[in-house]
Amino acid sequence: MTAQHIVKSYDEELKRLTNAIAEMGGTAESQLDQAIQAVARRDSELAGRVVRNDSAIDQLEEAVQSQTMRLLALRQPVARDLRDIMAAIKIASDIERIGDLAANIAKRAIALNQSAPVRPVAAVPRMGKLAQQAIKDVIDAYLEHDPKKAIAVWQRDDDLDDLTSSLFRELLTYMMEDPRSISPCAHLLFIAKNIERIGDHATNIAETVHFLVMGQRPTMARPKGDTSSYEVVEPPEETGAAAGGGGARA
Amino acid sequence: MSAARMSPLYAGRRRRNSIFMALAGASTLVGLGFLAAILVTLVVQGFGALNPRVLTAMTPPPGSDGGLLNAIAGSLVMTLLGVLVGTPVGMLAGTYMAEYGRYSQITHVVRFVNDILLSAPSIVVGLFVYEIMVAPMGHFSGLAGGVALAIIVIPVVVRTTEDMLLLVPDPIREATTALGAPRWHMISHVAYRAAKAGIITGVLLAVARISGETAPLLFTALNNQFWSTNLNAPMASLPVIIFQFAISPYADWRDLAWAGALLITAAVLLLSIAARALNMKRGS
Amino acid sequence: MDAAVAQTKATNAPIKVDIRGVNFYYGQSRALKDVTMPLYKNHVTAFIGPSGCGKSTLLRALNRIYDMYPNQRAEGEILVDGENILDQKQDLNLLRSKLGMVFQKPTPFPMTIYENIAFGIRLYERLPRAEMDSRIEAALTQAALWTEVKDKLQASGLSLSGGQQQRLCIARTVAIKPEVILLDEPCSALDPISTAKIEETIEELKTEYTIVIVTHNMQQAARISDYTAFMLLGELIEFGDTAMMTTKPRVQKTEDYITGRFG
Repeated sequence: MTAQHIVKSYDEELKRLTNAIAEMGGTAESQLDQAIQAVARRDSELAGRVVRNDSAIDQLEEAVQSQTMRLLALRQPVARDLRDIMAAIKIASDIERIGDLAANIAKRAIALNQSAPVRPVAAVPRMGKLAQQAIKDVIDAYLEHDPKKAIAVWQRDDDLDDLTSSLFRELLTYMMEDPRSISPCAHLLFIAKNIERIGDHATNIAETVHFLVMGQRPTMARPKGDTSSYEVVEPPEETGAAAGGGGARA
Repeated sequence: MSAARMSPLYAGRRRRNSIFMALAGASTLVGLGFLAAILVTLVVQGFGALNPRVLTAMTPPPGSDGGLLNAIAGSLVMTLLGVLVGTPVGMLAGTYMAEYGRYSQITHVVRFVNDILLSAPSIVVGLFVYEIMVAPMGHFSGLAGGVALAIIVIPVVVRTTEDMLLLVPDPIREATTALGAPRWHMISHVAYRAAKAGIITGVLLAVARISGETAPLLFTALNNQFWSTNLNAPMASLPVIIFQFAISPYADWRDLAWAGALLITAAVLLLSIAARALNMKRGS
Repeated sequence: MDAAVAQTKATNAPIKVDIRGVNFYYGQSRALKDVTMPLYKNHVTAFIGPSGCGKSTLLRALNRIYDMYPNQRAEGEILVDGENILDQKQDLNLLRSKLGMVFQKPTPFPMTIYENIAFGIRLYERLPRAEMDSRIEAALTQAALWTEVKDKLQASGLSLSGGQQQRLCIARTVAIKPEVILLDEPCSALDPISTAKIEETIEELKTEYTIVIVTHNMQQAARISDYTAFMLLGELIEFGDTAMMTTKPRVQKTEDYITGRFG
């Protein structure tokens, strides 16, 4: 950290902004953790709490928006201060989306609990762990102004994408084998997609942290890992129809 | 002021303040009182002696009727001569000091010498001109009187020109120069224009000062009982006539002296008002 | 090229003024230390830095206005279109007709609005009345002042408001058709509306002139300049693209200064 501003209240306001982001990040992380637990332990009550708790993150984001607006109007920030404030706005909105996605996972957990358990659920906690770690690391990178840590998060997103792709394939197979599992598997699909999206938001935050410290977005191209968008699974029977039609697009 | 803060120190300060205020006020009143007494005497005595003949007839021999026309004309001629000679010299010197030689050593010397000249007794100037003009030429003359007055005008005009030019802000000079104007162009078109009112005021004050000067004229233009505009001959002037008539034993001469004194005072007053009006215009 | 001068994105613009290793002295004290930077044609370059950093000194070296005072001298090279203007043989009046200057405080001459502008034109050209009228109108229009003064051209220049006086000075400068306009904190004495008008004027003048502006106001530099030079204690600390400088300066000192973390 370099010298303080001549105007001390400016430093305090920026500090408050950083603290709000840290609090948002922590809340989002625990929301995700609980949502994943609700899925893994089939705990509808916990899921309900997660859904209700989402408004806390929304309120924090609103607070960040009004603080940044005030700072922009009063301080006309430039250089580091400008990047600080721009980063806060962007990160807050990413975390807010993460919160929404966690709440959505919780909602689907409640739906999932209506039907019999399906085996691929086992993959969800592993994915959740990865996403949670990504959030934690990227918020740490933000607080420590550490672009290397941010880049690491950004690169690790591949693992999450790979897990999503394989779970996707697994679920399609399940659904084809047993039509009764279509409903829970569809919900699981969305849960997996939500976790994968959380990972994407974490990488967005990583890019923002890089910009915050270096003044520019990471220049190397991020390897795009999640191929589930192009995934095709051939049904075990009636092979001709699917092959001839080029396959279903997810 | 609350009683608690009325410390002995502050009370003493207040007391001293009232004492000094009373002293300053009293002194002002004394000064103004003398001025008023002079003016009242002058107006009472002068108005009594004022009549149309004062402005139309020549100075008379004792006992006969007469006026001050030749003296008024002589004063006008020599004052004009003094201003016409002294103003350009004074302005150019002042311009050198403020514009060209502002940072040179000569300017400091000139300013010091000029200040001495400004406060030199005018009789010294009279003697000087007597020595360099009247004595070699062998006779008194209006020309010598004009030169003596010019020498009095010069330091006044030098001082005001320099002061007024120094009041013109440097950014104006820089702005003119930045347009690519040569220095003389900047001075003549912009600096003089900005300092114009002040310089004219200075010249008017110089005129007021020389129109009442007696001593330098006594040794140079002397006096003349008759109408004369010949610069090569002795020339009458109001201050010298007043001096001569006022100390004479003749009542009618003394009356004319009062009338002349009133005329000079009125002229000086008008010039001062004009100078002040110009200054006000500059201030706005 | 100096280390402080970065490779900037628009360097394909031709260099109008090339400042090379310039040192400036007030008597014995050295106010500029080996300053090297380009001024790009038809672009606005802002000089920023704390008071006493040498930014005004550098500006005043560009038209050699410092020559009016004894004990001030510049060393090094300032090439205007390739010609070293610090050369003793340089004709100063011609130089100044090429590099116009507007000062911190408005400096209208004590004459009418019309004469204020005609004054400069008459130094170089003898024009018939009608042509002079149209030149004056053009200059006032360029300085965004025409509509405000067209009905009172015979009023004194001193009767205008501060902001109008400053635009009158800009009009006076552009009237003699210089190639470079040097502005020394032109808005420091003005209210925000007048400042906005001057900034708008500068924006429009950019298409025809190379502009250099000294400013204390970082936001103003950010708004109107293409390049920014940050100076400190007589040294050029950083020169570069203004957009880059306001988001991510390369030098820590620059960032500390512009974000108000100084001293």
